[in-house]
Amino acid sequence: MNDASLSRRKFLTATGFAGGGLVLGVGLAGCGASRPPITPEDGAFVPNAFLQITPDNVVRFFCPRDEMGQGITTGLATIIGEELDVAPWNMEVVFAGPHEEYANPVFGVQITGGSTSVRGHYQPLREMGAQCRHLLLEAAATELGVPASALSTEDGHVVADGVRRRYGDFATAAATLEIPELPPSLKPASAFKYIGKDFPRLDGLAKATGTATYGIDIDIPDMHHAVVKRCPVAGGTLRSVDKAAALAEPGVTDVVEIASGVAVVAKEFWQARKAADALDVAWDLPQLASLGTADIKADYQAALEADEGLVAEEAGDIEAALGSAETVVESDYWAPYLAHAPMEPMNAVVRIANDEADIWSGTQGIGAAQGLVARYSGIDRDKVRAHSTWLGGGFGRRGTLTHVIEATQVALATGKPIHLLWTREDDIRHGLFRPASLMRIRAGVGAEGNLVTWQAKRVGGNITPDTIANTMPGLLPSAVGDTMIGWAVGLADHAFGGWVVDGTSVEGLFEDYEVANLDVRHITRDHGLPLTFWRSVGHSYTAFAKESMIDELAARSGQDPVAFRLRHTENNPRLNRVIRVAGERMAAMQPAPGRHLGFAAHRSFSTGVAQVAEVSVAGNKIRVHHVLCVVDCGLAINPDIVKAQMEGAIMYGLTAALYGNLELEGGAIRESNFHDYPILRMSESPSVEVVLIDSNDDPTGVGEPGLPPIAPAVANAVFAATGRRLRSLPLRLA
Amino acid sequence: MIEFTLNGQRVRTDASPDTPLLWIVRDTFKLKGAKYGCGMGQCGACTMHVAGEAVRSCITPLVAVQGESVTTIEGLGTPSSPHPLQTAWTEQSVLQCGYCQPGQIMSAAALLAHNPNPTEEEVEQGMAGNICRCGCYPRIKKAILSVASHNAGDAAGILAEEAPA
Repeated sequence: MNDASLSRRKFLTATGFAGGGLVLGVGLAGCGASRPPITPEDGAFVPNAFLQITPDNVVRFFCPRDEMGQGITTGLATIIGEELDVAPWNMEVVFAGPHEEYANPVFGVQITGGSTSVRGHYQPLREMGAQCRHLLLEAAATELGVPASALSTEDGHVVADGVRRRYGDFATAAATLEIPELPPSLKPASAFKYIGKDFPRLDGLAKATGTATYGIDIDIPDMHHAVVKRCPVAGGTLRSVDKAAALAEPGVTDVVEIASGVAVVAKEFWQARKAADALDVAWDLPQLASLGTADIKADYQAALEADEGLVAEEAGDIEAALGSAETVVESDYWAPYLAHAPMEPMNAVVRIANDEADIWSGTQGIGAAQGLVARYSGIDRDKVRAHSTWLGGGFGRRGTLTHVIEATQVALATGKPIHLLWTREDDIRHGLFRPASLMRIRAGVGAEGNLVTWQAKRVGGNITPDTIANTMPGLLPSAVGDTMIGWAVGLADHAFGGWVVDGTSVEGLFEDYEVANLDVRHITRDHGLPLTFWRSVGHSYTAFAKESMIDELAARSGQDPVAFRLRHTENNPRLNRVIRVAGERMAAMQPAPGRHLGFAAHRSFSTGVAQVAEVSVAGNKIRVHHVLCVVDCGLAINPDIVKAQMEGAIMYGLTAALYGNLELEGGAIRESNFHDYPILRMSESPSVEVVLIDSNDDPTGVGEPGLPPIAPAVANAVFAATGRRLRSLPLRLA
Repeated sequence: MIEFTLNGQRVRTDASPDTPLLWIVRDTFKLKGAKYGCGMGQCGACTMHVAGEAVRSCITPLVAVQGESVTTIEGLGTPSSPHPLQTAWTEQSVLQCGYCQPGQIMSAAALLAHNPNPTEEEVEQGMAGNICRCGCYPRIKKAILSVASHNAGDAAGILAEEAPA
C-alpha cells in the first residue's frame, strides 16, 4: 500500500466518507430519540418500531423507506410479512415518520437511495417479523392453554386444532410479554410463501385511481402558494428587486426575499406563477456566468493533457505492460450535465404556528426535512411534525431538500401556511445535476488476447461536497451551527479537490475486469454548478466509457466481445453469470435485416447486469427496438418488481443515451422544459425482456444497476451497424 | 362566472378565465388526481376529458370549458369501482411512482373510446403525448391492449362511465 492510498483510507475512516455514498457516522443525538416511534392504540401490540397489531386485527407495517416508484412498500412488506406470516396485501402499510429507529441500516441515517433498501432491511425486518410472530404464539399458547409447539400460523391467524383465530385476538395479551433478547430462527428459503413470488404491487389501485397523495397534493386551511424567482446562474445573489408590479397582480399577498431568491406568495398557484414573471430583479452573477459548456469541456480537455491527477487505484507496472501489449487503444469519452426531471417537480408544504411546525413533502429523507425545518425556523426538532407522502419520482434528486428550506423561510416571513412548488423550468434549471465528465481510457491487450493494462482518468466535479452541504444541515442537531457545517463542507471540498478521490467520481471505471496493471486517476474541475446523485451515480457515465472501451478492445484484437468479457470476470461471479447468460441469448437472437446487436455489462450496487440492445440506424436516427436484460441481484423479493425496475432503468438510461443534454450559456442552463430536454416517449421505447438469474444469495438493490449498461450497449450496436464509435453522450451520428 | 360540468356535477367559479383548467380542478374543486408536470402541454400528466376528448388541462384556459363536460381521473373510476383500465393497471403492476398515471389512463381511455381495438402502433401514437419518467411504457402498452381485446367493439361501454349525470 502506498502513501496515497494509506492517507485516503485514514481520511475515509476518520471522516465517515466512504466510496459510493455518504456515511455520517457522527452522533445524531436529538434526532427524535426522545419519544417512541409508534404510539400504540388501545390494546394494541407494538413489538418493535415496524409493527402494530390492533385488537380489531389491523396489521400495520411502518415502512421505514420512501416510495419513489421502486416498489419498496411492497418489497419491505413482503420481507416482514414472510416471517410474521401475514400476506403483504393483508397489511396496512404506512410511511414511518422520522425517527432514529428508521435509519437506513446501510447509511446509519434516515435516507432512501443507493439501491440499499432491500439489501439493508432484508435481515432486520425478517427478524422483526419473526419476533412478533413468536410473541403472538406465546400469547395464544397461554390463552388457549396449549403448548406453543401445538400451534401454527397461517396468513395472520393462529391455528390450533384446525381452528383459525386472528392475530388481533391475541394482540392485547402479547403486548404484556417481554421481548426476547435473541431473535427466533428464520425460515429457510424453501419455506418462503411470499418472498420470491409475483403478485401485484400494493400501491397500484391508489395510484391508478388518482387517490394516492403526493406532496404537491397537500391542501391545508389558509394555504398560500409560493413560486420562487432564482438567479439564472447557480451561485448568483440578489442585488435588487422591485416588488411593486408583482404585488399589484391579482391574488398576490406577499413578495419576500429568501436565501435562494425572491418568493411570490398568492392565494392560488397560478396567480403566484404569473406574478413571478412580473418581478423586476437584478442579480450579482458568480464566475460561472462567464462560462458555456464549450469552455468547461475545453478546461476538462486541458486538464486531461496537463494534470497527472490523484491516484484512485493502482496496481502493477503500467509502462512495462504497455510495452508488452500487442493492441493498445486510447479513447476519450464525454458525458454531459443532466437534470433528473422527476415527473413531480420539487415541492413542500410548511405550516408554522405557536412554536410548532408541520412539513409535508415527498423526500428521500424525511428526517432531514424535519431537521431543516427545525434549523431554519428555530423550532425544536421534537416540535416539528414531518409527514411523508408518495414521491412522484426521486432518482437521487429528492435527497436534496432546498425546497424545504425555501418553504420554511417563506412561511416564517409571511406567517402563512405555504405550499411551495417549483415549476418544470425551475426543475430543469435550478436543481442539482449529474456532473459532466470527460474520461480517458488507455488499455492494452497482450499476445494471448488478455487485458494487460488499464489506465483511466476522469475529469469533472465531485458530488460529495454539495451533497454534504445539502444533507448535513438537516441531519445534524440544530445546535451544530452553520460554521461547523461550513467547515465540514470546506474540508470535503478541499480534500476531494486535491487530496483524496471522491469514490463516486470514479466508481465503475475500473472494477469489473481483472487486469494486473491498473492506474486510475481523478482530476477535479468544478465550475460551480451544484451536483448530486443521479440514478446510478458515477456508474451512469463510467460504464459508458468502460464498456465502450471493452468493446473496442475486443474488436481491435479480433475477439468475440462476450468471450472477451467472460475471460476477465472469472473472479466476479455475478457479472460473469449475467455476461454468460446474456451472451448465450444474444447468440440465439436473429435480428431483422437492418438491425444490429450491441452488448454491455456492468456491476453496480453489488448487482450484476448485462444487456443486449437491438438497434437500427436510418440516416442519422438511432432507433432502439429491443433490449434483453439479464440481472443477478441475488434472491429477488418480488421478481416482477425487479423486472419493472430493469425496464424503467433502461428507459431512463435511454433518455440519457439518446437525448439527455444540458448546455450552459453564460453560466445559465439553456434547456427549460420537455420540449428542449426531451424524455423518451412510448413511440420511441423498445420492448424489454428481463431474465433473472435464479439465486438464493441475500438480495441486493435493483433501482440503479439496470441503467449503466444501456448507453454503451446502444453505442456498441451503433458501431455494429455503422462502423462508427460514438464516444460522446448523447449518442449522435451528426 | 364560468360554469361547467365536472364529473357529472354542475360547478361554477369566478376565477380568472385565463387560469388553466388544471389549477381550477386541483385548487378550487380539490380534485388532486390530475397532475402538474410541465405547464406547457408536453407531458400529459394533467390529461382530462373535455366533451370526451383528451385535453392537456395545464394549457386549457378555464374559459374554454364554459358549458362543457369535464371528466377527471376521479370521474373515470374509484377504488371501489375502478374503470377497466384502472383494474388492468393495478393487476399488471403497470405503474411505479404513479405520478403520471392518471394522465396516462385518461389518455388511454380516450384512445379506446375512439378506437376500441387499436393496433400496437396506434397505441404508441395515441399515447405519444404522455411522458412516464419511470419508463413504464411496455406495461402501459400491454395493459391498454389487454383492455382493448377484452372490450373490442364496445366503445359505448367505455364512454358510458363519463356521461353527464
